[in-house]
Amino acid sequence: MIHAVRREARVFFAFAAMVPKLYLAYNAWVVVEFVVQILFMLVFVAFWRAVYANTTTLGGLDVGQTINYILLAQIVAPLVQSRLVSEFGGMIREGRIAIELLRPVDFQARYAVESLTSLVVFAVQKLPLVLIAGAFLGLRLPSDPAAWGAFALSLVLGSMVLFLTDWMFACLAFYSTETWGLGVVKIAVATFFGGALVPLQMMPAWLRSIALALPFSQGVAVPISFLAGVTPVSDLGALLIRQLLWLVGLGIASRLVFRQAVRKITVQGG
Amino acid sequence: MRRYLSLYGVFFVQRLKILMEYRVNFLIGATSTSFLQIGGVLAMWVVMRQIPSLNGWSFDEVLLVFGLVTISESITHMFADNLWTLGWQYIRSGEFDRFLVRPIDPLFHLLADRFCHDGIGNLLVGTALVVKAMSALHIPFTVATALYLVIAVLTGGAIFIALNLLTASSAFWLVDSIPVTFLVYNTYEFAKYPLTIYGRGIRIALTWLIPYGFASFYPASYLLGRNVGALAWMGPLVAVLFMSLAYRAWKFGLAHYTSTGS
Amino acid sequence: MPVIRTEQLTKIFRVVRKEPGLRGSLKALVRPRFENIAAVNQVSFEIDAGEIVGYIGVNGAGKSTTIKMLTGILVPTSGSVQVLGRDPHRQRVANAREIGAVFGQRTQLWWDLPFIESLALVGRIYEVPPARYRQLLKDFEDTLGLSELLHIPIRNMSLGQKMRAELAATLIHEPRVVYLDEPTIGLDLLAKERIRDFIREQNRGRGTTVLLTTHDLGDIEQLCPRVIIIDAGRLIYDGPIATIKERFGRHREITFETSEATTAIELPRDCTRLAAEPHRLTLRFDRTRTTASQIAAAVMEQIEVLDFSLAEPDLASIVRQIYQGGLREVEGNPRS
Repeated sequence: MIHAVRREARVFFAFAAMVPKLYLAYNAWVVVEFVVQILFMLVFVAFWRAVYANTTTLGGLDVGQTINYILLAQIVAPLVQSRLVSEFGGMIREGRIAIELLRPVDFQARYAVESLTSLVVFAVQKLPLVLIAGAFLGLRLPSDPAAWGAFALSLVLGSMVLFLTDWMFACLAFYSTETWGLGVVKIAVATFFGGALVPLQMMPAWLRSIALALPFSQGVAVPISFLAGVTPVSDLGALLIRQLLWLVGLGIASRLVFRQAVRKITVQGG
Repeated sequence: MRRYLSLYGVFFVQRLKILMEYRVNFLIGATSTSFLQIGGVLAMWVVMRQIPSLNGWSFDEVLLVFGLVTISESITHMFADNLWTLGWQYIRSGEFDRFLVRPIDPLFHLLADRFCHDGIGNLLVGTALVVKAMSALHIPFTVATALYLVIAVLTGGAIFIALNLLTASSAFWLVDSIPVTFLVYNTYEFAKYPLTIYGRGIRIALTWLIPYGFASFYPASYLLGRNVGALAWMGPLVAVLFMSLAYRAWKFGLAHYTSTGS
Repeated sequence: MPVIRTEQLTKIFRVVRKEPGLRGSLKALVRPRFENIAAVNQVSFEIDAGEIVGYIGVNGAGKSTTIKMLTGILVPTSGSVQVLGRDPHRQRVANAREIGAVFGQRTQLWWDLPFIESLALVGRIYEVPPARYRQLLKDFEDTLGLSELLHIPIRNMSLGQKMRAELAATLIHEPRVVYLDEPTIGLDLLAKERIRDFIREQNRGRGTTVLLTTHDLGDIEQLCPRVIIIDAGRLIYDGPIATIKERFGRHREITFETSEATTAIELPRDCTRLAAEPHRLTLRFDRTRTTASQIAAAVMEQIEVLDFSLAEPDLASIVRQIYQGGLREVEGNPRS
């Protein structure tokens, strides 16, 4: 038993170790994404400064909190831009999916580990962006280590929530080959309802309730609000419990959906 | 010229036949980009319903800016999307050689080869926004404004295509030109808002360096009766300038390709 | 008048020499060291109207670089190339109207469209008059059997069907010169026959000049009275297929049947042993260095020979030899 677990762990590690290598291979992309994120930050800072020229608070947030929030949202935004659906699409098109499913490791667990590893790579990669935002764009980060801890914890859980959501969505690749378009729709919905464009506090009640009924804010708004000075650390417990509930629910749902979707190709023999 | 127009028609009809083979995919692709724009508009609405104006611009006025740039983007998206994939889909696979043994211009062939339905969503959202903004702002829809709008949108589209062509030409050296194109293309985010909210440097850059300002802010200002001077009319000139610059870059890249074969 | 003429045609590629590993990559980035490689080196030939010429050589010998210069895709580094009296690169469009090209397995047809739609689009690109287009479709029918293909999308075609479709699309504008790169690769015998028949028919009926690159000996033997061989960028043979044997068939094989075991035998000079069976000895020798009788004498001195036979090389083995780089050693030695 222990032996089996260790073997599994080794396999997972091997897959996980691939992720940083892939990132390095697409070096040009790392740099470009970086610059584009800075450009977007410039746009949003200008926009929000103009917004606050006429008001002191908006949705209970002052200008400092909002700028903090928006800059952090920009930095973590790529987390909602993953497109598992395109990856699934490619596997199905090329017939690789059967091989992937036959491997002696749980298919979803493997991707989950990869997703967590890439979160670590991501954190390291985006560090300079945080420094730039701090030095030039007015990002003010808390010195309280508890806020950082709350952020880190909820980001890890939140990114898993995003992963499971993406997983469920990606199952659409079994039904349609237009995975580019599907990916774009997902990114659009996740970006808005995750709270990456506007803090949820500013939304009218009906929009906010939609946002809260969807999982995306768990990976964006919830963690960054701790760092932006919007959510006090004392709320951590309640928020973590909610994230865990999301994880359990989505964990079960995503496996059910995947099992159902895979039937589509096993029936057709695709 | 006439030959190319009718040839484009033939390519276009063939492409539609392919798209109609997969109707559901067509619908998903064609509407997908509109979701991104709707998200942006929704965010703007959420904020602007709580404040009187953005730097003196009302919500509907900002929508006009947003709508114009969205239509301009849709033009490059629909008619010049292959510029993105020149490197990995045509040059790397050797498919580009095919264009060079045909008796038509290779750039025309590249662009005509694939009308991209993904841009239709942006066209619809952009048009809806412009119509909504103009009626809410009571801008009279005369022949003159219609003409100005058409020219403005074509100018914007040409600027988008020129910048994409300029960056895509790097594919003749890099093969994967997508990061370069992605970088320049994304600066159009600036042009979704009135340029007055930015500092001088960004305003100048968006006017003369990466002139997306002519795709949205300047024509919108003119239509709203805001004084931007000669910049209201200079768009087409700038577009022609950038287009010829981009075409030179393309020609230069092509010459490199035909001498190195890579 | 020749249809294709190259004179001292040369293409030199400048490549960055990279040492292996990350350090090598970095070094190449900081201070790149360039190396000039002559993909095509002073190649001169002329092809007359109505000829079918086989253009052969190993992968990387310079075949496709030559074809690219002939079609106007690549500009020569030096030397000249003329097709139908034009510079194919400078007058690319005019040249393109009169040539056709099949690039191996890459299709020029639209993957998702029924063949007829692709063909019509190609016809429009080359401005084939509608009446002529219909006539050609009819002409192609017999050999290519197009009617069963017209309404199938390319993605659903078999390899042979695809090549038939490809050829029809390449010849629909009646090009005077056609470049065919591996037109029969991967096809079964029947399909190959069909393709060859069609090429022959176009050549005889319309006087189409054909330059064919292929690895298939059947193609060469059945279609090409003349062959041009290129190796490491240089033209090493240009002439009728029959004289290749004379020129390159220096090696002979002699086989002895013996009563005793041949294992202990001491080999005569200037030959190598091929097969190793107990009662059979096959030796390969260079007829410019030794003779069959010398070898036979040397063997018979050592062992009792029941029977022996001498084998002439066939074209297949010569081409194999060319492809294995065997011809370079020919160049190094004085020819008889």
